Formats: sequence, C-alpha cells, structure tokens
Amino acid sequence: MAISDKDFEQLRDFIYNLCGMYFHATKKYFLESRLTRRMEATATKSVQDYYLLLRSPRGTEEIKYLMDEVTTNETYFFRNVPQLAALETKLLPEIVEAKNKMGFRKLRIWSAASSSGEEAYTMAMILLEKRTTLLKDWIIEIVGTDINETVIAQAKEGIYNAYSVRNIPDVYRRKYIREDNGKFILSPEVKKFVTFNKLNLYEDSKMIFMKSFDFIFCANVLIYFDTASKSKVVQHFYNNLQPYGYFFVGQSESLHGVNDKFKTVHFPGGFGYKK
Amino acid sequence: MDKNLMLERAEILVGAVDDLPTIPVVATQVIQMLDDPDVSVEEIADLMLTDQVMTARVMKLINSPVYKPAHEITSLRRALVYLGLRHIRELALTTSVIGAFDADSGAIGLNLFWEHSFGVGMVSKIIARKVGYEDLEKAYIAGIIHDLGEVFLSNYLREPFQEVLDKIKSHPIKLVDAEADMLGTTHCEIGLCIARKWNFPEVYCEVISCHHNPGRATIDPILSAIVNLADLFCTVRELNYGGSQWISFNLNEEEAWSILKKASPALAQLDEERFCYELDDAVPDVKELVASIFNSTERVNP
Repeated sequence: MAISDKDFEQLRDFIYNLCGMYFHATKKYFLESRLTRRMEATATKSVQDYYLLLRSPRGTEEIKYLMDEVTTNETYFFRNVPQLAALETKLLPEIVEAKNKMGFRKLRIWSAASSSGEEAYTMAMILLEKRTTLLKDWIIEIVGTDINETVIAQAKEGIYNAYSVRNIPDVYRRKYIREDNGKFILSPEVKKFVTFNKLNLYEDSKMIFMKSFDFIFCANVLIYFDTASKSKVVQHFYNNLQPYGYFFVGQSESLHGVNDKFKTVHFPGGFGYKK
Repeated sequence: MDKNLMLERAEILVGAVDDLPTIPVVATQVIQMLDDPDVSVEEIADLMLTDQVMTARVMKLINSPVYKPAHEITSLRRALVYLGLRHIRELALTTSVIGAFDADSGAIGLNLFWEHSFGVGMVSKIIARKVGYEDLEKAYIAGIIHDLGEVFLSNYLREPFQEVLDKIKSHPIKLVDAEADMLGTTHCEIGLCIARKWNFPEVYCEVISCHHNPGRATIDPILSAIVNLADLFCTVRELNYGGSQWISFNLNEEEAWSILKKASPALAQLDEERFCYELDDAVPDVKELVASIFNSTERVNP
C-alpha cells in the first residue's frame, strides 16, 4: 500500500513527537509495508483512519505495536557504524588520555538494552583489538542488561546466525568467530569481557547501582517510553556516567527536549550525548 | 598561526599561477551593468543570452528546489523578472564561479566539491530563515562560494594538498587546521585572494575569509556565522567531500552559535537532532541539483 507524501509526513511528525524516532524519506517504503500489517490488525481502512486511531485514547497501546513492527527487535554486530567510528577515532582516545593522566586505567561500558548481546560483544571486539596499544594494562568491563531473560540466556551462550554476523569486518571475524554447521560461535576471549544481567530500566532502586560508566548505549528502547519515564531513565543514565562520559541512542532516535544536561556532540553520520 | 602571514603566503601562491581561471566576460559585464540604476531586465537578458552555458546554468538554478517557482520557468526574461534585479548579480556570480572551475582534475572530485558547496548554500538558507536574516538568497550564495579556495588548492597545489587530505583521513583534525599547519595558509586566505581578483562584493569576500572564524567578521558577522554552522552540519551529514574530513562539534562551544543566538534567542530551542535527520533527507536533492547543473546542455528560450 502506497502512502501519499502528505500522509507520510503527518505520520512521521506524529511518531517523532511522541517517540523521538525519525523516519527518513528513504524509509517510506518500509513504513508502508509495516503500516499495512497494523492497518489489517486494527481493521482501519485508510492511513488517515489509522492516524486518527493513534491519536485516540487507544493510540497509547497501538503505538507500541507499531514501534514493534518498525524496529523489528532485530540486532546485529557492528550495527551503528558511524557511532563506532566516532568512538574509535575520537571519543575513546579522549577518555583514555584523560584517565591516563589520573592514573585510573579502567574502562566501563554498558549496553543498556543488550538483547542477545551483539552490541556488547561488538564493543568487546573493538576494545580487544586495542589491548596491546591504547588499552595496554587497562581493566575493561562491559555490562549488558535487558528486561527479558530469554535474550539474556542467548547472549550468555554467544551463538549467532548468519544475519547477526553479516556486518562484522573480516579482521574481527577471522579472530573471534568460528563457524560450525551454519552457526557462528563467539570466541571465549570476547565473551569473558562481558557480563549479562536482568535489569528493568524503570526500577530506580537498581538503576542507582549502575555506576561509573564511560559509555552507555541504549538503542531503540526509549522510543517505547512516555515523556516522563523517558526523562527519568535518561537522568539515571546521566548520573551513571563518569564526568565526560557519553550516552548513545539508536540511529534515527532523538533525545531532543528530554534532558537539558547532556550536550549533543555531532560527528560524521551521527551524534552522541556528552555528560 | 598569524592571519596576515597566511594571507601573504596565499597571495604568493595565487600570484604564482599564470592560468588562474577568470570569470566570464559576460558575468563581469552583467555585474557592472547592474550598478546602473536605470538598467532594464531586457538589457540584462540580451547580454546574458550571449553566453549560453551561463544562461543554462541560471535556468537550472532558478528551477531548483532552492528558489522553488510554482511552475517551471523556461524563459530567461521571466527568470530575471521572477528573481528581481537585486538577485541577478548573485546568480551571475555563482554561475561564473561554477564555470571558472569546471576541470575535474583536482585532488577533490568536482562533484563532491559542488555537492558540499550547494549543500552549505541550502543549509545556510534554512538557518538564515530560522534566525530571521533579511536576505535569504545572499545566505544561499555565500554558502555556495564559501570554499572557493579549496578548488584552487585541489587543482593548483594538487600534491601538497593531497598530503593534507591523507593526513586528516580518519584523524580528528580539521581540514583548515591541517592546511595552516602543512601549507602555511588555508583555503580561507586563498579564497579571499581569488575573490578579490574577481572583484567580488566585499560581503562575500568576508564570508570566504571568515567562515571558520565568524567572530573576526566586521561587515556581516551573522552571515559568516550562518555559513560556518551550515558548513559544520554538512560536514557531519554526508555532504562532506566524500568523508575526507573527520570533525566533531558541540553547538554550545561554537562561536557562530553564540553570535546567532544573540541575534535570535529563539534559536536556542532548535531541535538539532531533527535538523540533522531532515538534512539527511535533503541530501539526494542536493546531489540531483549538482548533477543537473553540470550536465546541462540543453538550450534555453530567450
């Protein structure tokens, strides 16, 4: 089903204002196909009807289903390339230099919606490559948390399908991934850097114990939260960071208007939030 | 590095080139004619039509998303009436700069150069509108010509400039800083020398010279600040000379941002994340515009 440009823009603005996720014009076809499914499920006959449904009291529930469709809950290794490049090129060396001066050689990274572990293990691979250079004699701690115990078990297991590993650059793939009968098995060397725990981001009493991180990642989760919860959770992330630490969201997400303490730092192809 | 020393060095480098392109005679004549308060659109159109390439480029620009006429304009006279005499000077300037550097043999591909330039022009116009700047077309033109010096470096100092590009690839060093360090001057001073040679109006000379230090501008600091920000945003959003430069910025630490917020306090509310995403959406339009300008061969009705 094709959506007119006007309908697309109306939906895009509505979703952006509500969830903080921006649909690029190039994703129009994708939104069309996912919208068709939701229109069938809700028996709405036109895009306008569906838009009105989203704006009605039932919309709070429906927007979650729509977000489920459009984020597809998929994740894979080396997903956000501009973010990783910024980290390697500038942000990591900066933090390492600052901490070296203080004689505090420990790096802590948190993948706050770690799902089956791809994001956390991607960081582990990148940092492992620097064990003999930038991060020589450094202690590295990577923590992955998720609300869902099934995905945590998968993350701990460290066995992936071809889709998950398709973006891993060769240099890492050769070293850290072993193929066995169509399954891709992560090397124990990478696994030992990461711990996974169950955590509900809404649970204040647990959030306050997640301390002293240099980098926090939280992709495609805050879009499900209403503004008040989003502000609260983001404030926790802010508190959980070391001074000058960075917080990252997903590729088309925005925290505009959610927290005025973070400073937006732009880099090629993306941006991060600096404490 | 001392700005005067860099300017001296730029003058030497530009002066040493014998075959520096000139802007078309017709453009110079048009710009001069416009100084006459009694000149008519007819006279200007007659003169412009003697240069078909220039005319074709004017028509491409006038029908581009930047000027957005309600219907396609197919005659030059109507285009000039639509624009108004005030803006013809600027259009003549832009099209002649495009014409002057059309050999694609430099260290930076010509298409990448113009994609960045037109991108900065477009974003300058958007920012100008947001800050309530009175002349949107001036902001657009200033954006298009701000990196004039870069084409010179790319074409006439090809090898040393290539070394600069190699050095900054994947390193967080700004191009302008690496130029100062390795060449003893930058594209800002080089661009200024060329713009003066071509008798550009002072306000454009200033943008070319000050778009990396808008605080130094004295004629129109707001214009230099607009182009500076547009340049930063384009450099992080795919209109970046094919990714040759790795930069990062935080608006609150940018001089341009302070200048513009002072002029228009409401700007502090800018949704910069969405601004970036919208810019991503506009990138294909910019690329298409550049492709159409450089492949414009069709003739135009008088």
